[in-house]
Amino acid sequence: MTLVQNFPFFCIILSMFSAIISFPMNHRWAMRVHLVMVTVVLALSLCVLNYTASTGESYTFMMGHFPAPWGNEIRIGVLEALMAVFFSLIMLLSVLGGLAHIGRELKNSRKNLFFILLDLLMSSLLALIYTNDLFTAYVFIEINTISACGLIMIKKEGRTYVSALRYMVMSLVGSSLFLIALTLLYTITGQLLMSPAKEALAELVAAGEYEVPMLVIIALVTVGLGIKSGLYPFHTWIPDAYGYTTPSASAILSSLVSKGYLFLLIKIFYRVLDFEFVVSSQVVNLLFMLGILGMIMGSWLAIKTQNIRRMAAFSSVAQIGYIYMGIGLGTTAGVVAALFHIISHGAMKSLLFISISGLSEVSDDKSDFESLKGAGFRNKLAGVAYTVGAMSMIGMPLLTGFISKYMFASAATTALQGKMVIAWIALAISTILNTVYFMGSVLTIYHSVPAEQRKPHGMMPSRVESVGTVGLIALNVGLGIAATPVIQAIQTGLAIFG
Amino acid sequence: MSPYFILVPILVPILAGILLMTFPIQDYKTRAVAVESVVILNSILVFVLLLNRPAERLYLFSFVEGLPLTLNIDGMATFFGGLVAFLWPLATLYTFEYMRHEERVNTFLSFYTITYGVTLGVAFAGNIVTMYLFYEALTMVTLPLVIHTMTEEAQKATRKYLNYMIGGTAFAFIGIVFYSLFCTDIEFVLGGNLDVANLGEYANIALLVYVLAFFGFGVKAAVFPFHGWLPSASVAPTPVTALLHAVAVVKSGVFAIMRLTYFCFGADFLKGTWAQTVVVIAAMVTIVYGSTQGVRENHFKRRLAYSTVSNLSYILLGVTMMSPLGLVAGLCHMFVHAIMKISGFFCAGAVMHQTDKNYVYELDGLGYAMPATFTALLISGLSLTGIPLFAGFVSKWSIVQALLEQPSIMGYVGVFVLLYSALMTGIYMLSINVRGWFSGGTAARQDSARFHDPSWLMLLPLAIFSVITVALGLNAQALLAFVQSIATGTF
Amino acid sequence: MIALLIPVLMPIAVGVLLMVFPPRQRKIMLAVVFAALAISLALAVGVALQPEDALCLTLGTVAEGLTFYLQVDAVGKLFSVLVAFVWLLVGLDAFEYMSHEHDEPRFFGFYLIVEGVLAALCYAGNLFTFYVFFEVMTLTSVPLVMHELTHEAVMAGLKYLFYSVGGAFLSLFGLFLFTAQGAELTFTAGGVLDSASASGVARLAVFLMILGFGTKAGMFPMHGWLPTAHPVAPAPASAVLSGVITKAGVLGILRTVYYVAGPELIRGTWVQYAWIGLTLITVFMGSMLAYRENVLKKRLAYSTVSQVSYVLFGLSLLQPVAFVGALLHVVFHSLVKNGLFLSAGAIICKTGKTKVDELKGIGKEMPVVLWCFTLAGVTLVGIPPTSAFVSKWYLATGSLASGIPVASWLGPVVLLVSALLTAGYLLTVSIDAFLPGSDYNYAALEKHEPTWQMLVPIVTLTALAVLLGVWPGGLTALLTNIAGSVL
Repeated sequence: MTLVQNFPFFCIILSMFSAIISFPMNHRWAMRVHLVMVTVVLALSLCVLNYTASTGESYTFMMGHFPAPWGNEIRIGVLEALMAVFFSLIMLLSVLGGLAHIGRELKNSRKNLFFILLDLLMSSLLALIYTNDLFTAYVFIEINTISACGLIMIKKEGRTYVSALRYMVMSLVGSSLFLIALTLLYTITGQLLMSPAKEALAELVAAGEYEVPMLVIIALVTVGLGIKSGLYPFHTWIPDAYGYTTPSASAILSSLVSKGYLFLLIKIFYRVLDFEFVVSSQVVNLLFMLGILGMIMGSWLAIKTQNIRRMAAFSSVAQIGYIYMGIGLGTTAGVVAALFHIISHGAMKSLLFISISGLSEVSDDKSDFESLKGAGFRNKLAGVAYTVGAMSMIGMPLLTGFISKYMFASAATTALQGKMVIAWIALAISTILNTVYFMGSVLTIYHSVPAEQRKPHGMMPSRVESVGTVGLIALNVGLGIAATPVIQAIQTGLAIFG
Repeated sequence: MSPYFILVPILVPILAGILLMTFPIQDYKTRAVAVESVVILNSILVFVLLLNRPAERLYLFSFVEGLPLTLNIDGMATFFGGLVAFLWPLATLYTFEYMRHEERVNTFLSFYTITYGVTLGVAFAGNIVTMYLFYEALTMVTLPLVIHTMTEEAQKATRKYLNYMIGGTAFAFIGIVFYSLFCTDIEFVLGGNLDVANLGEYANIALLVYVLAFFGFGVKAAVFPFHGWLPSASVAPTPVTALLHAVAVVKSGVFAIMRLTYFCFGADFLKGTWAQTVVVIAAMVTIVYGSTQGVRENHFKRRLAYSTVSNLSYILLGVTMMSPLGLVAGLCHMFVHAIMKISGFFCAGAVMHQTDKNYVYELDGLGYAMPATFTALLISGLSLTGIPLFAGFVSKWSIVQALLEQPSIMGYVGVFVLLYSALMTGIYMLSINVRGWFSGGTAARQDSARFHDPSWLMLLPLAIFSVITVALGLNAQALLAFVQSIATGTF
Repeated sequence: MIALLIPVLMPIAVGVLLMVFPPRQRKIMLAVVFAALAISLALAVGVALQPEDALCLTLGTVAEGLTFYLQVDAVGKLFSVLVAFVWLLVGLDAFEYMSHEHDEPRFFGFYLIVEGVLAALCYAGNLFTFYVFFEVMTLTSVPLVMHELTHEAVMAGLKYLFYSVGGAFLSLFGLFLFTAQGAELTFTAGGVLDSASASGVARLAVFLMILGFGTKAGMFPMHGWLPTAHPVAPAPASAVLSGVITKAGVLGILRTVYYVAGPELIRGTWVQYAWIGLTLITVFMGSMLAYRENVLKKRLAYSTVSQVSYVLFGLSLLQPVAFVGALLHVVFHSLVKNGLFLSAGAIICKTGKTKVDELKGIGKEMPVVLWCFTLAGVTLVGIPPTSAFVSKWYLATGSLASGIPVASWLGPVVLLVSALLTAGYLLTVSIDAFLPGSDYNYAALEKHEPTWQMLVPIVTLTALAVLLGVWPGGLTALLTNIAGSVL
C-alpha cells in the first residue's frame, strides 16, 4: 500500500482532530487551524485523485484490523477523490470569501465554535464521500446534521433559532427514515458493508424473495436523503436556513451540505442497490417528476421574494431539482450530469452568496432589493462577481452553468423520448425563470443611482474576501472552459463506482 | 492569411470598449474622434480579412467533447460581417450628434463599441455553439444600451427585452444540444451535417427540435408571438434602435435561423415536412401582424419597429422555402432591409432630436423645414413599399421567385401576404411623407419653420443610404450574383 | 435609339427645375411650361412618324428577368400623341384657371413630370417597364390631386394613392405569376404565352392584372377612389385624370391581354366572362350614379367610370370590330371628357358654382362654354354624326358579332340604357342652362365668359370631338390595322 492511499483516511482524521484541538483555542488560532486543515485536505485529495486516475481502479482501505465483511472500510476511487477535491476547494474559497463577516457578525465566543463546526462538517463530508459502510454513513449523516444546524444558528438571533429548529425537525425525520431503511436492509441481508450488502441483495433479487421490503428500502432511503437534501416538496427549510446566517455558512450550507447527502444517495444506488434495479423500480420516475417540480417551483418562488438571500436560497431548491432530474432520467449519462452539477452548482452558489454578502455589506448590511439598488457601483468586485454568478446560473457559455445545462440536455437524449422532451422543456422554462430573477437582480444592483450613493455605506471589502471572490470567479470560468477533464474523471469514476 | 487573424476584429472593439469604460474621456470631441477611429480601423481590418480569407477555420478550444469553439470565414460570414462593418462607422457617426446632450455617454459608447465586436463574433462563428456564445453575449452587452435613459419605461422595456431574449435562447439551446449529438460534424456546412441516415426514431423529434430552435432564435428575429420586445425597445436612444434593432440584433436573429436551417439541419431534410409548414405559417402571420400594427401605431419609432417585425419575416418567408432561391431571397432582403430600415430610423431620430416630436400626427408641414430628412424618409418609404426603381422591389421580387419556384398553395398565399403587407407598408410609410409635405396648411408650415435639418454628422449617413437604395433599385445584379454564389456554395 | 428618352426626360427635367427654381415672374413660368408642352407634342408626333423598327431602346437590367426596355409600336404612338395633344390644350386652360390658385410652380411642375412619365408608359416595351412607370405615374400624380391642400383634398389624395397602390400590387401579383411560369414579358402583338399549354394560374394572373390595371380605369370593384379624387383636384388636373390617366389603366389591360397573354388565352374562359360582367356592371352603375349626383365634377367623374368601361367592354369581347370601337372610344372619350371638365372648370372659375342645381340659366352668362358643353354631351350620348356615335356603333356591332352567349345582346342593351342615362345627366344640364324658365332673374345677368386661354382648348376639343365623327376614316383604318395584328 503506497503512502498516497492513506491520504483519505488522513484527511478524515485530520479534520476531526482539528475540530477537537480548536476547542480550547481562541478564534484566531481556530481560524488558522481550519484554513490550514482545508488547504492540506485539498492538497492531499489532489494527490489521491492523481493516484486513482493513473491506476484507473478503486481500492478499499481497511479501518482498523477487521477485514470485510465484519470490519469498517472506506473505498476510494476517481469519483470520490474528485468530489473531495472540489468540496475542499469550495469550502476554502467560501471561508476566505466570508472571513471578514465571520469576524464581524459573530461574538468572539462564537467564532471558534464556528470553525469547529466547519471542521466537523469537513470530516463528515469526507466520510460520506469515502465510506463503504452503511452504519458509518448514518453516523456521519448525524454529525453532518448537527454541524449544519449549528452553523445555521451560529448568529444566535431569533430568526436563526426558528430556522435551525425547522431544519432540525425535518432533517431528523430524514435521518430516521434512513435509519429504518438501514435496519430493514440489515435484517434481510445481514450486512452493513456496502459491497457485501450488494451481493446479498443480488442473490435475493435472483431468488425473487423480499420484493416488497426491497422496494420499501429504496423508498425510505430516497425519501430520507431527499428530505435532507432539499428535494421538492421537502424544501421548506432551505430558504430560512440559508437566508439568515453568515455568508460563509450560507455558501457552504447550500453548496456542500445537501450535496453530501446527494452523493451518498447516488453511492447507495450504485453500490448497494444496483442502479438497474433502482431504475426498474420506478423510483427514478418519481425523482424525475419531483426534480422537475422543484426546478419550476423553486424558481417560481424565487421570483416572488424581495430579499436577495432568500432568492438565492430558493434558487438552490431549483438547482437541486436539476440534480434529481438528472438522476431521475435513469441513465448513466443522467447521473454523470447530476454529479457534474453537484460540483458546478457548488461553484456557482458559493460565488453568489459571497458576492451577495459583498453587496449588502456596502449597503448598510441590508439584503432587500430596494436597498441594494446601485450596490454594483459601491462594491465593484462583488458586482462583477454577482453578475458572473448570475450569468453562470442562466447558462451563459464560457461559464460552468452552461456546461451543466448541456450535460443535462444531452443526457436527456439517452432516456426515453417522453422524458427527453419533458426534460428539455423543463430546462428551457427553468432557464427563462432563472433569467427573470437573476438578471432582474443584476439590473437592480446596477440601477443608476446618484453619485453619493455610489460610495460604500458600511464596510469596505477586505483583501482576503477579494481573494476568495476572485478564486470562485476563476473556478466558474475554469469549469466553463475546461470541463472536459472533470467530466471524463466523473465518467471513469462512475464506471468503477458500483 | 492566418486564421488567428479572425479573432482580431472581434477583440479590438471589445477591448477598446472596456478601455473606454475604465479610462473615460471627458472631452466630447476627443472621445468622438477616438471612438470613430477605432470603429473605422476595425472595419478596415474586417474588409482586409474578408478579402484575404483564411484557408481554414480557427479552432480555439472545446467546452466539452463535441462542443468546439471555432471561427470561420465562409460566404455567409463575409456577407454579414461585411454588412455590419460597413454600417457601424456610419451609425457611430450618427450617434455622436444624437448623444451630444445626453449623459453617461462614455458608458454608452463603450458598450456600443463592444457590441460591434460581439456582432462580428456571431457573423464569424464557425459552428452553432460558437454562434450561441456570441448570441447570448450580444443580449448581455446590449442591455446597458437599451436601459440607457434609465426612465421607468426604459427599465420595463429592458426587463422585457432580457426575458424574451434569454427565453428564446433557452429553446434554441435545445436545438444546439440535439444537433451536437446527432450530427456527423458540428461545423457549419451548406446542406447541413445532420446524420439523417442514423436518426431512426428521432426523426420526428429532430423536426420538433428544429421548430423549437426556430422560434428560439426567432425571438431575436421578432417572430410572432415573440416580437413584443421590439416595439417596447424603441424607448432606447435612436442610435441603439437603428443599429441594433434594425441591423445587428435582429439580423443576428435571421442569420442564426439561416445557419440553423441551411448549415445545420439542412434544407433538404426539412423541405416538405410539417416543420416547414409551421415555420412558413409563422413567418406569414408575423408579416400580416407586423404590417397591420404598423398602420395602427402612431408613435414614429414604434411604427418603424412594427415595420421591422414584418420585414424580418419577409426574410424568413424566403428562408423557410428551404431552397437555394429561398436563401438568395432571404440574404438579398437582409441586406436591402438593413439599409432601408437604418435610414428610416435615422430619419425618425433626426426628427425627434431636432423637434422633440414623437408622434406621426405632430409632423404636419415639417417636410419644408427638414427637406433632406424627409426626402431620405420618402426614399426609404418607397423602397420599403416595394416600388420599383428602389432596392426594396428587387428583394421582394427575389422572395416571390423563391415562393413561386414550385407551384403550391403555400407559395400563392405567401405572395398574397407579401402584397397585402406592401399595401399596408405603403399606407404607414407614405402617409408620413404626405403629412410632412401636404398636411396642415400654411399654419403648420409656419410653425415648423423654426426647425431645420440636422448637421452633416447625421445627414451624411442618410445620404449614403438613400443613394445605395436607389442604385440597387436600378441595378442589383452584383448583389444578386454574390448571394447566389453563397446560396449555391460556389463562393 | 437613345433619342426615345428625350420625350420622357425633357418634361420631367423641366418640371423638376420649375419646382426647385420657381421663376419669379408668372409670365416666364407660363412661357416655359407652354414651350415644354409644345415641344412634347412635336416630339410625340415626330416619334409617331418614324418607322417602327428603329424605335427600340434597352436601358439596363435590374436583375434577371427585370429589364428596362422601350419599344414604340402603333398603339404606343397613338396613345403618346393623344396624351401630348391633350396635355397641351389642358395646360393652356390651366394658365387661366390656376391664376387664382396658389402654389402654381408645384402644380405645373408635377403636371409636366406626369406627362414625361406617361410618355415612358406609352413607349414601354415590356411588362416590367410598364409596371414601373405605372407606379411612378401614381406617385407623381398624387400631388396634383392633393393640390388644394385642404383636409378633403389630402384625404382624397391618400385614398387615390392607396387604391392605386393596391391595384398596382394586384397587377404585380399577376406579373409575378407570369414570370414564375417562365414567360418573357416583352410586348408582342398577339401575345407571348402559348395558350394551349397555359394553366389556370396563367388565367388567374391575367384576371388579377385586369383587376389591378382596372383600378386606374375605375372598373368595378376598384372604382371607389375615382369619384372622390377627381372632383377635389383643380379642374385641369381632373380633366387629365379623367381623360387621360384612366386610359393608362386601359393601356395596361390592353398590353396584358393582347400583347403578353394573347387573347386566345382567355377566350371563352371564366376570365373573359367575369371581365365582361364587371365592365357591364360598371357601365350601368356609373351612369346611374352620375344621374343622381348633384355636384357637377362628381357627376362627370361617375360618367368617366361608366365611359371608360365602355372601352373595357369592347376590349373584353376579344373581337376585331369591338376592339376598334374600344380604341376609338379611348380617343373620343378623352377629347369629350377633357372638354367637359374644362367647361366645368370654367364655370367654377368664373362663377364659383359647383352644383348642378345652381346652374340654371348659366348658358346665358357663358354661352360659348355651355355650347361646347352641350355639344360634348351630345357626343357622349352617341347621337350621329358625333364621334362617340361611331365608337358606340362599332362596339355594338362587335358585340353582336362576337357570338358570346348573353353578352352579345346584353351589351348593346346596357350601352343603350347607359346612353339614355347619359342624356339624362348631361343634356338636362344644358337644358337648364339655356332655358332656365320663367323665374330666372334676367336683370341680374352678367357675362362671365372666360378668356381665350380657356376658350381655345374647350372649343378645340369639342370641335375635334364632333368632326372626328364626321370623318373618322383615317383613325378607323389605323385601328383596324392594329386589331388585325392582335386578333
